[in-house]
Amino acid sequence: MVKLMGAVLLIAACGYAGWNISRHYANRPRELRQFMAALQMLETEIIYAATPLPDALSGIAARVDPRVASFFRQVVQELKSNRGCSAREAWTGALEKYRPGSDLDQGDLGILNSLGNCIGMSDREDQGKHLRLALEQLKIAHAAAEETAARNVKLWNYAGLLGGLVIVLALY
Amino acid sequence: MNGVVQVKTGGRRGGWREVLPVLPPHLEELISKLPGHILDRLEEIRLRRDRPLVLGAGGRDFFLRRDGQPDTRPDGAYRAAGEDLDKVIHNISGASVYALEEELRNGYVTLPGGHRVGLTGRAVLENGRVKTLKYLSGLNIRIGREIKGVAAPLMPRLLDMPAGTLHHTVIFSPPRCGKTTLLRDLVRLASDGVPQLQYPGRTVGLVDERSEIAGCYRGVPQMDVGVRTDVLDGCPKAQGMMMLLRSMSPDIIVSDEIGRMEDVTALEEVFNAGVRIVVTIHASSLRELANRPALQFLLQLNIIQRFVLLGRSRGVGTVEKIFYGNEIPRRG
Repeated sequence: MVKLMGAVLLIAACGYAGWNISRHYANRPRELRQFMAALQMLETEIIYAATPLPDALSGIAARVDPRVASFFRQVVQELKSNRGCSAREAWTGALEKYRPGSDLDQGDLGILNSLGNCIGMSDREDQGKHLRLALEQLKIAHAAAEETAARNVKLWNYAGLLGGLVIVLALY
Repeated sequence: MNGVVQVKTGGRRGGWREVLPVLPPHLEELISKLPGHILDRLEEIRLRRDRPLVLGAGGRDFFLRRDGQPDTRPDGAYRAAGEDLDKVIHNISGASVYALEEELRNGYVTLPGGHRVGLTGRAVLENGRVKTLKYLSGLNIRIGREIKGVAAPLMPRLLDMPAGTLHHTVIFSPPRCGKTTLLRDLVRLASDGVPQLQYPGRTVGLVDERSEIAGCYRGVPQMDVGVRTDVLDGCPKAQGMMMLLRSMSPDIIVSDEIGRMEDVTALEEVFNAGVRIVVTIHASSLRELANRPALQFLLQLNIIQRFVLLGRSRGVGTVEKIFYGNEIPRRG
């Protein structure tokens, strides 16, 4: 009886571990899509309305997923609380805080980071160019993320459960 | 009838408090340590990259030593670093330089409270017109003066009692004699009304091309321009007057710095619509006024009933003389 319970527990644990890894793969494209939507909105705000960043970003934060929104809220907060702070400082600071809970990989974060280096620093035309470049790069990253997700989500789901099963069989 | 009217000036105090937060924290601290009588008269804070910081107060300027003491000599004065200027720009733009494009083209930014920051740097041209400024190297933070009540002594002379509105009025003076300050208060009184004079207040349309009269921040007047005043901020005068005329049905249209022919043509339209006008003009005398072609045309229309000449004989904003329409010499 105890053996059986142990076996069930082991399979559940391995299954959970596998599901956890697969969730990470599934979440990355979703997060990238959220960022793409957010940057698209930011582009409109900047190019057509010339809305200053604090206003534009709080508007965007209200319209995207809570997790991605937390990044934009953080930028706004840094801009407002730290006088004379440049948008670059606020952006990189917020990105640093956002990194731990995120499913994005180094490359994705690198795109956002390099966008942060020029955000708010130049005229509208130039901002548009930087935003469009970042969007293009995110699009490519998104396509790659979708592909890896398609390959890995099922794999890790099964690998977790089956791995648990194998261990159980070996121990039995 | 045409005596000199002395204008009492009771300036708004504490404007510096609204301005200092745009400065980097260490500069804010340095300046706020100045004695109160200087702070209350503070007019300008000038930051020039790598040169001493200059403060203007009560018509004089002085430097600021590193320990916060005012000094008349530039050596040992606090020098504005490039970083200081960048921080001010970040503060006034919300870290969004693109949001200041129009302002950079015009060379100034209006702050909350109606204060303004003048900017210089290297101009970037496109098709021979200034597109924007880069390498910003000079900032002049000017603390707005709103002096309520300066126009009150004038009101009885400018009111057209039978019609219950203002006469067509031109305020003219050499530069820096308080035209805009007087105009702002006049707008406020014309719009709010003056119960003592049985004047109920009229709808005023204000075309504020340079955002100087109402000091609009994001379109909202920061100065008190009265309860019945509609402000078209940043709009070219001639166009703005026509827009107001069509859209807001004002009783009085007000504008600053009339001088070009198209402005006068627009004014003619305003006269035809039966709307009163109050405008200011740069000119030190009636003769000078009459010598400018556009204004000569305006005078020939024979419609302006009050000409107010400002000067500084007893301080800025002294009303030197009020001419009535029928006293104006006209040329063929």
